[in-house]
Amino acid sequence: MKAHLTSCLNKAEADYVEIRYEEIHATEIHYVGKELERIGEWEKKGGAVRAKFKDGWSFVSFSDLENLEKNLELAVKQARLLKPGKIKLAPVAPHDEIISLDLRKDPRRIGLEEKYFLLSRYNQILLSPEDIQTSDLRYTDIHTVKYFVNSEGTYVQQEKMDMVLGMTAIARKGDNIQTAHEGIGGTEGYEIIEGREKEAEEVSRRALSLLDAEPFPGARCTVVVDPKLAGIFAHEAFGHLSEADFLYENKRLARIMRLGRGFGPKELDIIDEAPIKGEGGYYLYDDEGVPAGKTYLIRQGKLARRLHSRETAAKMGEAPTGNARAVSYEHPPIVRMSNTYIAPRTKTFEEMIGEVEEGLYVKGFRGGQTNLEMFTFSPEEGYIIEKGKLGKKFRDINLTGNIFTTLSNIDAIGRDLILSTGSGGCGKGSQYPLPVATGGPHLRIKDVVVGGR
Amino acid sequence: MEKILDMVASQAQEAEIYRVRSQVKTVKFQANRLKSVDSASEEGIGLRVIRKGKIGFSSTTDGDEPRLLMQRALDSSQFGQEAHFRMPPPGKVPLINCHDSRVAALEAQEMIEEGNKAIRLVRKKLPYLECEAGIEKMVTEVSIINSRGLSESYKKTGYEFFLYGFLAREEEFLGVGEEEPSSRYADYSQALAERLIELVSLAKRRVQISSGKHPAIFTPKAVPLLLKSLKMGINGKAVQKKVSPLLKKMRTSIASSSLNIIDDATFPFGPASSPLDGEGIPSYPTQIIEKGRLKSFIYDLQTAGLMRTRSTGNAARSYDSVPSPSTTNLILKEGGVRLKEMTQDIKEGILVDQVIGSGQGNTLMGEFSVNLDLGYKIEDGKIKGRVKDLMISGNTYKMLKQLVAIGSEARFVGSIRTPPLYFKEINVVG
Repeated sequence: MKAHLTSCLNKAEADYVEIRYEEIHATEIHYVGKELERIGEWEKKGGAVRAKFKDGWSFVSFSDLENLEKNLELAVKQARLLKPGKIKLAPVAPHDEIISLDLRKDPRRIGLEEKYFLLSRYNQILLSPEDIQTSDLRYTDIHTVKYFVNSEGTYVQQEKMDMVLGMTAIARKGDNIQTAHEGIGGTEGYEIIEGREKEAEEVSRRALSLLDAEPFPGARCTVVVDPKLAGIFAHEAFGHLSEADFLYENKRLARIMRLGRGFGPKELDIIDEAPIKGEGGYYLYDDEGVPAGKTYLIRQGKLARRLHSRETAAKMGEAPTGNARAVSYEHPPIVRMSNTYIAPRTKTFEEMIGEVEEGLYVKGFRGGQTNLEMFTFSPEEGYIIEKGKLGKKFRDINLTGNIFTTLSNIDAIGRDLILSTGSGGCGKGSQYPLPVATGGPHLRIKDVVVGGR
Repeated sequence: MEKILDMVASQAQEAEIYRVRSQVKTVKFQANRLKSVDSASEEGIGLRVIRKGKIGFSSTTDGDEPRLLMQRALDSSQFGQEAHFRMPPPGKVPLINCHDSRVAALEAQEMIEEGNKAIRLVRKKLPYLECEAGIEKMVTEVSIINSRGLSESYKKTGYEFFLYGFLAREEEFLGVGEEEPSSRYADYSQALAERLIELVSLAKRRVQISSGKHPAIFTPKAVPLLLKSLKMGINGKAVQKKVSPLLKKMRTSIASSSLNIIDDATFPFGPASSPLDGEGIPSYPTQIIEKGRLKSFIYDLQTAGLMRTRSTGNAARSYDSVPSPSTTNLILKEGGVRLKEMTQDIKEGILVDQVIGSGQGNTLMGEFSVNLDLGYKIEDGKIKGRVKDLMISGNTYKMLKQLVAIGSEARFVGSIRTPPLYFKEINVVG
């Protein structure tokens, strides 16, 4: 593969060219209620050429490797439409590396039948309580071999495994329908999917208990969030605005987001770190062949660094961070997060709750979104806090915040860091779902707008 | 394709091959100028079998290994669910306008010129705005053959123009996006630029609105937030699993009597128009809501079989996915009230245009609670300015019953075609 890709590469006329090629082989099992919607294996192969020319990029993706030379020609031809100018790329020393998988329990060595039995057992557990109307249970193992070669002499071949188990239980009593979800994911082996009977039971139990919870009426109050939500908070509230492609060509925004600007309390560190083995956002080289590392986005409450591709790093005069990722060969790499988390501090959960006169404790994760300034993140359930004690349970809660005020309203950071990958992924532009992990300790935030019914 | 079908025919009761070939060209603009020219070509096939009464499926992009594909589909059928349908025999295929030769012939250079024109128009009025744009054309060829003799193929085009303006001010960002999705070519640059300019200009002033219940107008862009729940509720799968809140509501009134909604894959040049669905069922319009009454759910073959009814031709899929019911072009019929007249009717209320956080709540039940990304306060019949840092919440099913008026100016937002809608009230928290 290396020789073939390299020989083609040398023929292309452009300032810079890279070729990516991917072989994807997956097993998928999907239950909806009692019916098995899908089971079996599938595969997908394809590649892409990206060429830098004058003031822009030309990108060509394809599913037929035989015509690689033709696709290279198309990339070069297309590039002539770009306008005069020059894009610079931050320098990266050439690498030549082959990274192979080392899994404890490789799902490719486990038969479809065994996977089917495991999933059927989970599905039975999900469906067993009387008021559980239906389930949505998804399993996937996706094995990918990625090849990367560029005109600067880098060759990187990476093998990876993405494991996903998504469990949803839907409870119904009359007209009241409630959903609970648990997502388990990562880049380790089949063992992370096994032994999840307890989680399946728990999901159903949570869906049932939501039937009896009251909808939250909406308020503005102090909120304590669990580690799952703290992770989403780090990702939505700050992570996305750290992605330099939003601001590298926008001078106004770059001024607002200047390094050193205060965004939170002194105890606040937010970190993006790809090389955490086993987590969803794990990788050693990004899709531009740049080595991944650990990047402090916020350190001691101040904007420390940002996430870069080679282009955004060069434009802003900063070092590349290895955060250019593509969801598949069908897309060009863009600046993305990997594993993003808030560093733990010293408060215990009991202290955090005990100090609140009036507020809300929220847990579980439904989703999150940002428009860079404002963001939302939704818990599955919430408990009122009164005079330091947890009280009545509520559902239908959605939290919102604003990057300029909410981060600085964090007034307590817990000691219990938990990272989770979940079964979803991050979406940006048309690229979804990209595996990422998010995490943090329990957090307490003042003055949060909480939407309800 | 025929060769694979012949190979598998002896080992399965029924078999179907679905092939998609697509060519996409996209020009992308960033920071007010052309940034990237992209092309994508893809070909893939999906093989579905019914063997010993059970469904099996696999897919690949590699046409050179039909045996592997066949073996995987057959393996899958050992565990697959029991089939409650037969694949369709050949039938009469309607002639649907979903291919525009002008799109197929369109050159990247023309797309670049239109993108530049749109950005120029916006920047002439609003020089401080940072613009992005994306123009995409797609030509797809879909072929479907099955062991009962069905053998159909059709070509479809897609054309989409997206324009986005962004302004970062200290403690206040403003991002406005407008798009036109179609399967037909037209020069959308001016219309999109004008819409963008108007929305940005109206947002110049920041105003406050009190928490509580207010009347609300949803622009077409905001309507999909509400229809998300309805789309889930009318889905045959949710009905079959008994988790649709519309389960026992057939032929009853679920919305204001002025509301009419059709699912229509035959709509000329709609973004989701096609002559056949993903299982080869000929397209026809399905009345979902008529004068406020629920008329039909949507089904694919398997879900219809389980429910002992007929497929509505709503099997959605690509080559790498199994068919599943989904809406095609969802058409909400226009009313007679202009947006301006709706606005004039409101003493104090809001105009909702963009939200974030959609789909995070109990969408199935109709609940939503979202951040108002782009919204305006209406005061004494006029748009006063932008309101932000608010949550709005409500329930789709309750609101559809409290429709005050339906607008007269409809357009496609994604595959939903809708005019603006005016509702009695929405809950605002700030």
